[in-house]
Amino acid sequence: MKKVIIEGLSYKYPLSSRLALEDISLTIEKGEFIGIVGKNLSGKTTLCQALVGLVPHFYHGGFRGKVEVAGMNTMNYSIAQLAEKIGLVFQNPFNQISGSKLTVYEEVAFGLENLGISRPEMIERTENVLKLLDIYHLKDRNPFEISGGQMQRLAIASIVALKPEVIILDEPTSQLDPQGTNEVFRAVNQLKEQGITIIMVEHKVEKLAAYADKIILMSEGKIVDYDRPSNIFARSDLKKLGVKTPIFIQALQSLGLDKKYPGGLPVTLEDTYKLVVKEYGNDQN
Amino acid sequence: MKSISLYVDLDSPLHRLDPLTKISYTLVFMLIPFLIPLKSITLICLGLTLSLLWLGRVIKHIVPIISFSLFLLFTIFLIQGLFHPANEKVAFSILGLTFYQEGLEYALGLSLRFINLLCCTSIIILATKPSDLIQSLVRRGLSPRFGYVMSSVLQIIPQMSNTTQVILDAQKSRGMETEGNLFVRAKAYIPLLAPLVMSSLVSANDRSLALEVRAFNAQRKRTFLSEEKVTFTALIFRFLIFFSFISSIVWRLKQ
Repeated sequence: MKKVIIEGLSYKYPLSSRLALEDISLTIEKGEFIGIVGKNLSGKTTLCQALVGLVPHFYHGGFRGKVEVAGMNTMNYSIAQLAEKIGLVFQNPFNQISGSKLTVYEEVAFGLENLGISRPEMIERTENVLKLLDIYHLKDRNPFEISGGQMQRLAIASIVALKPEVIILDEPTSQLDPQGTNEVFRAVNQLKEQGITIIMVEHKVEKLAAYADKIILMSEGKIVDYDRPSNIFARSDLKKLGVKTPIFIQALQSLGLDKKYPGGLPVTLEDTYKLVVKEYGNDQN
Repeated sequence: MKSISLYVDLDSPLHRLDPLTKISYTLVFMLIPFLIPLKSITLICLGLTLSLLWLGRVIKHIVPIISFSLFLLFTIFLIQGLFHPANEKVAFSILGLTFYQEGLEYALGLSLRFINLLCCTSIIILATKPSDLIQSLVRRGLSPRFGYVMSSVLQIIPQMSNTTQVILDAQKSRGMETEGNLFVRAKAYIPLLAPLVMSSLVSANDRSLALEVRAFNAQRKRTFLSEEKVTFTALIFRFLIFFSFISSIVWRLKQ
C-alpha cells in the first residue's frame, strides 16, 4: 500500500528566485524506513515540510504538482488535519517544546487536547507513548529540564501520540551526543516495528545505512537517486554531492573489494566483518 | 528553574479551590469596599481575605507586596492629611506641617481598600497555579491562542534570560568588559541584543512550525487533560460570594 505519493512537485519560497524543489516524483510504501541524504540547501527540509503541508500552507510561495499522504492531497487539507496522518519532528528539540505545559506528561497531551481527543483515550495514549519512548520515569519533570536526547524523544513522543501513519524526522540527532543519537534511533526502530512509515533526514550515514530500507539522495532540489542503501552508498559521486560514504564502505573500497562486488557492499559493521573474514580468512596474524 | 510568576507551590485548602471560585472571590471582595464605603465593611473584607491567605499558608508572601506599595500609601496620608477639602479638625503638627483628622481618616479608608485590593489579587497570584488559571479561562471561552501566549510567556521568558546569560558569558570569554560602572555595564548590553533578538526570532519561528504540526490550529472542540473538579465546598463558597455581591449592590441602591 502506498503511503506517500509525490508527483511532479516543484516549489519556490516567496522572495526567492530559485526553485527549492524541482520536479520531485516518488512513492513510499507503508512501513518503510526511508532515509534522505544530501548536502545543505539541497531541499531535504523543504521536502519534509511539503509532506506535512507546511509547504505551501505555512510559507505560501509557488507550488506545483501533487503531494498525497495517506490518501489525503495536502493541498485540500489544513496542517492540523494532516497532523493526524503525518507527523514531523524537527532538528532542535528545545524549540519543539510548546512552552505552555509544566510537565512532560502534559506536554505529550498538548497535541491530543488540540485534536479534541476524549480524556480517557488521551491518558491511555500519553501513557503508552511515554513508555514506548522510555521517558515514563520523567513524566512529572519540567520539559525544559531534561537532557537533549530525552527532550528529542519527548518531541517524538508528542508526535507519536497523535497516531500518525507516517513520521518524518528532520535531522533529529544533529544536536545530540552519541548516546542521545542511539536513544533516538532505537526509538524510531520501535516505531517502524509498529508499522509506522518513517522518513528521516540524517547526516550520520552509518546509522542510516544500518536502519533504512531505502535512501533518497538529493541535490539542488532534485532527486538524484532513490534506491537501497547498499546501492546509494556505493556510488562514486557521493563526495561531489556532499554526502559522506559510510565508514565501512570506505574501508572495503580501500581494500579494493568494491570492484569485486559492484553495488553489493555491506553497510553494517556485522556484514562488513563477515565479508572481510570471507575474503581474507579468520587469521588474526 | 527561575520563574517569573509569584505562585507559591503548596498544597493547601486554598490551593485546591478551583480557579474560577478564586477569581470570583477576588473580583467580588475587591469591589465590595467600593460599593459600601464603610471602614467596618472594608475591615471585614480584609480580615476574610487575610484569613484565606493564612489558610493557604502564603500570608508571609504578601509582606513584600504590601511593603512595595508603602510609599504610595505614605503619599496618600501626606496629601490627604494636609490638603483634603473637608479638613477642619487639627490632628497634630509636625515640622510646621499641620495634619487634619478628616483627611487622615479619608486616607485610612482609601489605604485599607487598597491593601484589601492587593490581598485579594494575591489570592490569585500566590495561590493559583498560572496554568490552571489560564486553562479554566480557556474552558470558558478564552481564545486558546491567547491562553497559549499567556502561559508560554511564563516559561519562555526565563528561557530567554538563560540564553542572555549564555551569550553574555560567551562575549565575556572573548574579552568584553561587562563589569564596572553603570556605563560599562550598559554598554555590554548592546552586543548582546543582536544575537538575542536573532535567536529568539529563529526559535519563535521553529516553535510556531512545531505547534502547527501538533494541530494547534485544529478547528475542533478542544479537550483537556486535567479534569475540573468543583467540590461541594466550592459550590457553597461560590454561592456565598454571589450572595455577598448581590447584597452589597442592594445596599448601594438603597442609599
